[in-house]
Amino acid sequence: MRVGPVRRDEATAAFFDGTARSERLLFRCPAGHFSPPYAQQCDTCASVDLVSVAAAGGASVVSRSVAHQRGGDRDTLVVAELDEGPWWWSKVIGAEPEQVAAGARLTVAFERADEESEAVPVFRLA
Amino acid sequence: MAERSAAIVGLGMTELGKVYSRTAAQFAGDAVRLAVADAGLELGDVDGLLTSAGVSGGVGLALQRDLGLRDLRLLSEMQSYGSTAGQMVQYASLAIAAGMAETVACVFADAPLRQDTSTGAAYGARGAVGWRGLLGAAGIRDTNSLYALAAQRHMDTYGTTNDQLGHIAVGQRAWAELNPQAQMRTPMTLEDYHASRWIVEPFHLFDCCLVSNGGIAVIVTSAERAASLARPPVHVLGWGQAHPGHAQRRHEDFGLVSGAARSGPAALAMAGLTVDDVDVAELYDCYTFTVLITLEDYGFCPKGEGGRFVADGTLGPDGKLKVNTGGGQLSSSYMWGMTPLSEAILQARGEAGERQVDRHDVVLVSGNGGVLDHHSTLVLSPHGPAGRSSS
Repeated sequence: MRVGPVRRDEATAAFFDGTARSERLLFRCPAGHFSPPYAQQCDTCASVDLVSVAAAGGASVVSRSVAHQRGGDRDTLVVAELDEGPWWWSKVIGAEPEQVAAGARLTVAFERADEESEAVPVFRLA
Repeated sequence: MAERSAAIVGLGMTELGKVYSRTAAQFAGDAVRLAVADAGLELGDVDGLLTSAGVSGGVGLALQRDLGLRDLRLLSEMQSYGSTAGQMVQYASLAIAAGMAETVACVFADAPLRQDTSTGAAYGARGAVGWRGLLGAAGIRDTNSLYALAAQRHMDTYGTTNDQLGHIAVGQRAWAELNPQAQMRTPMTLEDYHASRWIVEPFHLFDCCLVSNGGIAVIVTSAERAASLARPPVHVLGWGQAHPGHAQRRHEDFGLVSGAARSGPAALAMAGLTVDDVDVAELYDCYTFTVLITLEDYGFCPKGEGGRFVADGTLGPDGKLKVNTGGGQLSSSYMWGMTPLSEAILQARGEAGERQVDRHDVVLVSGNGGVLDHHSTLVLSPHGPAGRSSS
């Protein structure tokens, strides 16, 4: 399975509305700083005047690790820095772990575990 | 230093590890009763209680009633994850210095292990809902993954290697062989370390802490009162905390620097000491990597040199620096911040048996919580603060 199932709650409803449209939402403040979608206020200037915007989709690897499953499968986990600045913790699909190194360029993708589940943002090598 | 200095005068440790017969609340009660008895006190002498629960919960304000403690002057449930134990001693010391309380019990207990389930199940379970569920759905299901990403960044940046992390695991296992209470006492070589299965690269199984049931409590009182009690007092000479508040964004030093970099120097400065004065270091070791970054951040070696430092004959019973002398969370047992704190008390008292180190005048203790998000430091000593009447 590429991603696991996840359900929305009140805090994630708008975000998952975005992933359903293949958009990974971020917050932007009037000064143009970007913050992650779970932020209460701007990460940079503490403004609470935040609007949702879709990230452009480019990112690069800050760090990567390889999770080994009992059955022998491997997952490539990453901290990725979106080109807008915020970090996002997810996995890279469609590549061997050895191909994913710090600094590698990524592009965002969306995967669902099944019809009932929300779409989950992941990465592919750009 | 504060007006009235504080000392740790009691230590209570239940049986630790795969012990299934008690709940966390029962372990907590047992630990406090043991600590009070160790100090030569009665439960009725306790006028302050600070509690800390692990992942299984169930250790809180109700412990007062479980222990029949009446008319407490201080009572709170605390939570800063692995930095909590050190913080409890700090707040107890402050309360004693202020005259708010005289004898404070600080306790941690947890019982995440259940018979016939894996240790991974104890810490891995997360409901697949909301932001946390999203993280798990993307494959980041447990703390191992988060620390692995931190450690890999350090390795990429400074050239730290698995072999170097292995030296930490091997050194601590050698200490555990000398500790009859340790869960893992089978000798370990660097080859054994490399042969242990991958959990999340760069972590092998032997990079990761144990999971344990049990409880540990300490009793803190004034240095004046400590002088007349049963056990050799362990004076609290200095302390610090640091909570970096890492933003998840560009230019963040996640994995490279931890709160130890501020907390350690602050604690040593309060004690009027430097890192060169430290005889024994009991460092929070949820992972081998946590030891490495804490050694760097405390200033035992320059930033980025931790890997070479630990691989250079530094660790283990024959090493240059006495680190995690009971085997730590990697090889002895995992009682969050109480693991390093309890070993520090035994070493400072000179009661660590076969693993007792010769020089134990200054014992440094670290606590680390979250994913390098919370840090606490204590400087302990069998000697009172210099120039004080209690010394």
